[in-house]
Amino acid sequence: MTGADPGQVFREEAAELLADLESALLHLEQNPTDREPLDTAFRALHTIKGSGSMFGFEAAASFTHHLESAFDRMRKGELAATTAMIGIALAAKDHIRILIDDPASADTAVGDGILARLADQSGSAAVSAPLHGERDDEESRATWRVRFRLAPDALERGTNPLLLLDELRGLGEAEIVALTDDVPPLEELDPTRCHIGWELILTTSHPRSTIEDVFIFVIDETELTIEPVSATSEPGVEQEPVPAEMPVPVPAMVAGPAAPKAEPVPEKGRAQPAANSIRVPAERLDDLMDQVGELVIAHARLKQLIADSVDLQIKSVTEEIERLSNGLRDITMGIRMVPVDSLFGRFRRLVRDLSQELGKDVLLTMSGEETELDKTMIERLNDPLVHIIRNSLDHGLEPAAERVAAGKAPQGRIHLSARHAGTRVLMTIRDDGRGLDRERIRAKAEEQELIPPGAKLSDAELFQLIFHPGFSTARALTSVSGRGIGMDVVKRTIDGLRGTIEVSSLPGGGTEITLGLPLTLAIIDGLLVRVGQGRYVIPLFAVEECVELPADVERRHANRNFLNIRGALVPFLRLRDSFAVRHPPDPYQKIVIISSGDKRVGLVVDQVLGDHQTVIKSMSKLHADVANFSGATILGDGSVALILDIAQIVAAGQTQELRREAC
Amino acid sequence: MAVTGTETFEALTLGLGGEIFAIDANSVHEILDIVPQTEVPGAPPLVGHLINVRGKVVPLADLRIRFGMERTPPTIDTRVVVVEILLDDEPTVVGLLADKVHEVTSIAGASIEDTPDIGMRWNPDLIKGIGKRGDDFIVIPDIVRIFTTH
Amino acid sequence: MAKTILAVDDSASMRQMVKLTLSTAGYQVVEAADGREALAKAKSGVFNMVLTDLNMPNMDGLTLIRELRTLASYRGIPIVFLTTESGTDKKAEAKAAGATAWIVKPFQQDQLLGLVRKIIGA
Repeated sequence: MTGADPGQVFREEAAELLADLESALLHLEQNPTDREPLDTAFRALHTIKGSGSMFGFEAAASFTHHLESAFDRMRKGELAATTAMIGIALAAKDHIRILIDDPASADTAVGDGILARLADQSGSAAVSAPLHGERDDEESRATWRVRFRLAPDALERGTNPLLLLDELRGLGEAEIVALTDDVPPLEELDPTRCHIGWELILTTSHPRSTIEDVFIFVIDETELTIEPVSATSEPGVEQEPVPAEMPVPVPAMVAGPAAPKAEPVPEKGRAQPAANSIRVPAERLDDLMDQVGELVIAHARLKQLIADSVDLQIKSVTEEIERLSNGLRDITMGIRMVPVDSLFGRFRRLVRDLSQELGKDVLLTMSGEETELDKTMIERLNDPLVHIIRNSLDHGLEPAAERVAAGKAPQGRIHLSARHAGTRVLMTIRDDGRGLDRERIRAKAEEQELIPPGAKLSDAELFQLIFHPGFSTARALTSVSGRGIGMDVVKRTIDGLRGTIEVSSLPGGGTEITLGLPLTLAIIDGLLVRVGQGRYVIPLFAVEECVELPADVERRHANRNFLNIRGALVPFLRLRDSFAVRHPPDPYQKIVIISSGDKRVGLVVDQVLGDHQTVIKSMSKLHADVANFSGATILGDGSVALILDIAQIVAAGQTQELRREAC
Repeated sequence: MAVTGTETFEALTLGLGGEIFAIDANSVHEILDIVPQTEVPGAPPLVGHLINVRGKVVPLADLRIRFGMERTPPTIDTRVVVVEILLDDEPTVVGLLADKVHEVTSIAGASIEDTPDIGMRWNPDLIKGIGKRGDDFIVIPDIVRIFTTH
Repeated sequence: MAKTILAVDDSASMRQMVKLTLSTAGYQVVEAADGREALAKAKSGVFNMVLTDLNMPNMDGLTLIRELRTLASYRGIPIVFLTTESGTDKKAEAKAAGATAWIVKPFQQDQLLGLVRKIIGA
């Protein structure tokens, strides 16, 4: 604990926020329809109000509250950012500053005047900030029957019924009975579901509202009855009126890509003035990205160097630099983001031409075309997608007659979709054709000795085999597909983009290929680990969790490397074996559980060093054949760390396992 | 392999494994003191490590491996010579480990002799020729071949 | 062993207050300044509870909550979000995203402590 006075920290933070507010206001004045300065202004006011109240700056907080409400209305489009409004906001900003820095000297008349002008402009009377409610304790004791059943998924959402019961017990004397009539037989029992209800007879001097308060967070989904006992009890079930309405449609600010703020980019259906754009050569953007990347690295080094410092000023400036370089990075990445529609759109023509050539009636539909991806990635996805679509059209979709015979509509369908999922973009290509022929794939794989005969493979594993070079089950090479770029090239391209590719298929039901892609090529969120004396970065999107390697597993000879994680068997791989590390292992090793496709694998490392975000450097041509790594990065201390290629490492581990099994 | 004619070329001479090598001075970007290296598991031994050169990740090559020389530990004179070479028409940056960097000097065409096949400890294919400067023999390695053949 | 809490807020003063309040009460607190950093820390560590603001750069609170709920190791872990009084629609949204409970800003230190004890015990 540094011992810094929280009030002082708040004052410093507020000074920054007020500066941000002022520049956002000035910017907004020049560009009244610009979203970004409006959001910045709102966020600054929001934080000042929230933190101000917490650190005892009541006057500043309640004054700021009115500004915050006005800006919230502006965000929602209910109020316009007129010059008059900006002027009031700027005056308010000055007043807030005084209220924070030297509250004693603040002139309340000035403050009131500003609020009056604000009320005029926003056409509503300023409502005073809501006060905290006080609760009175009644002295009379009463006995209640409290009966509750939580929603089945309550446990998964982190609710602990035992704590609820403890809280109820804390209100008075309670007799508790568990209601187990809904508990299913053992075979059907799902331990993650809440099957038990409870009933209590509770004698307490607290009012009924206090009992209800115990359930405050779960009230919407909980069946709750609170009836007085040995008093005139009301018949029937008393249900707490639901306080919240159906969720309001999510404003654009919250949904959408996590990384770039994407303010300059139009939403679907909202017209954007084209006049305010300029053309920039792509190389210049690349140069900008490089420089920003260097800045991110330099900041990481700075952060490391001052990690042990107690100089608050340096730390604060470093945090500021971090904020600025992150902001710069986000903006730069945002510039390069382009809607997927520019890619999908090309395929309309392709499908039309191909379906004519092949004599098949095919409908191409799409969704999520407004989803954005890095421009470079869009370019590089063109060829793989063309190949996949061609495959669907040529081999996947049956001719009309065959479809009708199978009970399907004569028109085949291909659907392209793209959506954001956290820090990635998921793109799917789905057809409703005949699906992949498992038997033919297996036969071909055994023939090419990719799998030992009779090997047990899940569908997902089997389908991954189609990405092997030279693997093609097409009976005839048509002019459309089956030659030139094959699925192995598709996979390599996707790997090169640090993406993942998964296949699922139902016989007669069609095939769905899902591509998982990072939002940008340039920057990686990774987990830094140590194996022997080397440090490596594991891409964070693949990481699920980190656990300790239990000592008894360590002692067991390396014949079957499996770990029990919450009941599931997870195979693990020792990276020191993959990397031929001679250095003796750490006494307490860690396992990083990663997911690759639908597989989960544990990677055993000596130490987990923490999260690390930095720029990716591609591997030199001289290292092009090194399979385990997809790139390198520079750490805060200036040294180089290699980035693991998850798919390769898991596949290599897979092959080892298969060989071991076959022996 | 003979380099005939009277071309003189500017070369950076460096000491490695007891011999003196000459690297085309035009290809040299910079010379660094020894820097921390990161091992690359699975990489060919010649380029088994990576270094950070001003924010660029560059392979570190130890030519002693190709020439079967003893790999003595680094000393205070050890340097890394960062060069850019064309591999398959692609400009590639790589760092060359050197026990000691001497100087940039002209190597006159006339003194570049054929590689004598006798008495050579190493693969004549990897060498463009042998020059002489005063009493010292200077080895002119064929850098591109060194990196492209196995 | 002390229970650990991941506290996520882009306001440094807020983080400091939370850390001060909870660590004096015997909890261990790890800080993150935005959703992205929080997700990374969550994946590389073990926490008994996550406390997060909603309005943050780089990855907002709702996305963070959704991401955490896709991780098997975070099923059953309480996630508490910070909200202002006027945000009833935010509460519904956050719950739909998988949040367990909320605390209304501004709050006093003892309110925070009371909430944490209610959600994960001492």
